[in-house]
Amino acid sequence: MNERASNGLVGWLLISLVLGYAGILLLAPLVMMILGAFKDGLQPILDDLTTPDALSALGLSIRLALLAALTNGVLGFLAAWVLARHNFTGKRIFNALVDMPFVISPVIIGYVMIVLFGRVGWLKDFPIKLAFSVEAMFVVTVFVSLPFVIRELQPVLATLMPEHEEAAYTLGASRWMTFRRVIFPSLRHALTVGVMLTLARALGEFGAAAVIGGAVEGSTETATIFINRALLDRNPSAAYAMSLLLGVIAIILLIAMNRIRHAGGRHVHPN
Amino acid sequence: MSIQIKHAIKRYGAQAVVDDISLDIQDGELFVLLGASGSGKSTLLRMIAGLTPTDGGTVILHGRDVTALTPQKRGTGFVFQNYALFPHMTVAQNIAFGLEVQRLPRRERDARVSELLTLIEMADLGNRLPSQLSGGQQQRVAVARALAANPAVLLLDEPFGALDVKIRGQLRHSLREIQRKLKVTTILVTHDQEEAFELADRIGVIDHGRLLEVGTPDQLYHAPQHRFTAGFLGAAAMLPAHRNGTAVHLGARSLPASADTSHLANQPVEIMVRPESVTVALSPEQVEGHRLGAGLVEGITFAGAFERLTLRLESGEVINALLTTAQARTLALRGGDCVWVGVRDYHILSAGV
Repeated sequence: MNERASNGLVGWLLISLVLGYAGILLLAPLVMMILGAFKDGLQPILDDLTTPDALSALGLSIRLALLAALTNGVLGFLAAWVLARHNFTGKRIFNALVDMPFVISPVIIGYVMIVLFGRVGWLKDFPIKLAFSVEAMFVVTVFVSLPFVIRELQPVLATLMPEHEEAAYTLGASRWMTFRRVIFPSLRHALTVGVMLTLARALGEFGAAAVIGGAVEGSTETATIFINRALLDRNPSAAYAMSLLLGVIAIILLIAMNRIRHAGGRHVHPN
Repeated sequence: MSIQIKHAIKRYGAQAVVDDISLDIQDGELFVLLGASGSGKSTLLRMIAGLTPTDGGTVILHGRDVTALTPQKRGTGFVFQNYALFPHMTVAQNIAFGLEVQRLPRRERDARVSELLTLIEMADLGNRLPSQLSGGQQQRVAVARALAANPAVLLLDEPFGALDVKIRGQLRHSLREIQRKLKVTTILVTHDQEEAFELADRIGVIDHGRLLEVGTPDQLYHAPQHRFTAGFLGAAAMLPAHRNGTAVHLGARSLPASADTSHLANQPVEIMVRPESVTVALSPEQVEGHRLGAGLVEGITFAGAFERLTLRLESGEVINALLTTAQARTLALRGGDCVWVGVRDYHILSAGV
């Protein structure tokens, strides 16, 4: 136990403030969501979630999220690797640009995509239809969830000791075997957490997907767009049910990520 | 000959960190490269392993020119200062890694791993993760991992640097035993002269990228050819002198010069005097060894088993002497006292090298 000053008056004030905002901003909506969804028991939730529109929206959301997570898992890994191991002109700019999806509104991204690829856009003759299509929604979903894998991997890559690789080389291991057996195992946890964050962010994407996809029921409507439409249509029970499902998935991901982060700290080298 | 290095050169920019080093190391020898940090000793070791590319020269291991080969093809066992154990692998998996690379059948691999675990006296710790081991245990695992695949040579880069003094002594002893048992040609890099004395068959002293001299610990301590070696291997007073015919002259005093220093005749030389060779007496008749003259006691320092005297000679030179507790009691010296100083043993070396 390290010695810490006992909580004085200021300490208690700070703790109340933190717990207060956590309660209002993080817990209250969760409780509201659960209460609202279960207002009439479990059956209405199941009914609301098994309508053709709901199933289609859910299916699209899951497909997009999985594809985006896979894409960003691979491309993010490559980007983080290149940023950590190679020097090239524009590296710093590229590294700064990685955070762009965090700071720019997804709606703007959707709009820019329409301007570029829409019927009168600059790149309207692009071979893949990238406006008002599922492909376009995939592209914007990848965009909005791009930073997570890179930003999770970067700090771990920076702390890898070159001696580990050199030790493997002197023991006769090829570069590929060294990567597979020595480097990758150290990155696995960070990569998994990054992919899970990507998945969570992609499942929750709304603005860019709504703008670029056109929000057509049964076609380009995702789970979040479904919630929005249910609210506009004064169908709160459907909105609650879908929110609950997305919320549960998010909480499962959150718990899983915490467990992985905890496990990842176990074999950190004392040096 | 296990290791031959011919005119090895490594430059960083304009600076040569390894400056034309040639060295032959015998089969089964434990050779210590001794030098200060930044002297180039670790770089030379990495060049032998192929981890640092050479800018010139040749590295020959067991008669095979490996200069152009990758580290994978050289078959050296390397122990890093931070051990570099693979953190996600158990002790046994770490040791087995090199054998796995060689695609040794599982049963032979397991047998070899348990053999090595026994060798490092960690037979029941094979399933631990490196993070669950003490520093000394990690170091032993690193040695076992490097030895597992029967390397052509064993290279150790400051292997005791990160350990506390007590454990260091034990590990040095066990490393020496393992090395003798396996007769594996070994180069160990260190900045610690005590470690070098304890372990080395021969020591190579390296300074600013140049290999100054090579010799047994005894040779280098008592009869170094370079001023740097004299000072690096232990405390020494360096007294400027001049050698002619059969004697060296320090001011008005002269000491006999041995015949093997005749090549230094009529040259400025220095006389190296180690503190343990300096004698002190209260009268000139009582001086043991060759008389150096009168000296003024400038300081007395308690050093455990000894007392260290700092003496200023008539010539102005400062020289240290070690007195046993008994001697110190008999003489009962104080700062400012005047004594007579002699030397039992001294070594003549060329000035300016």
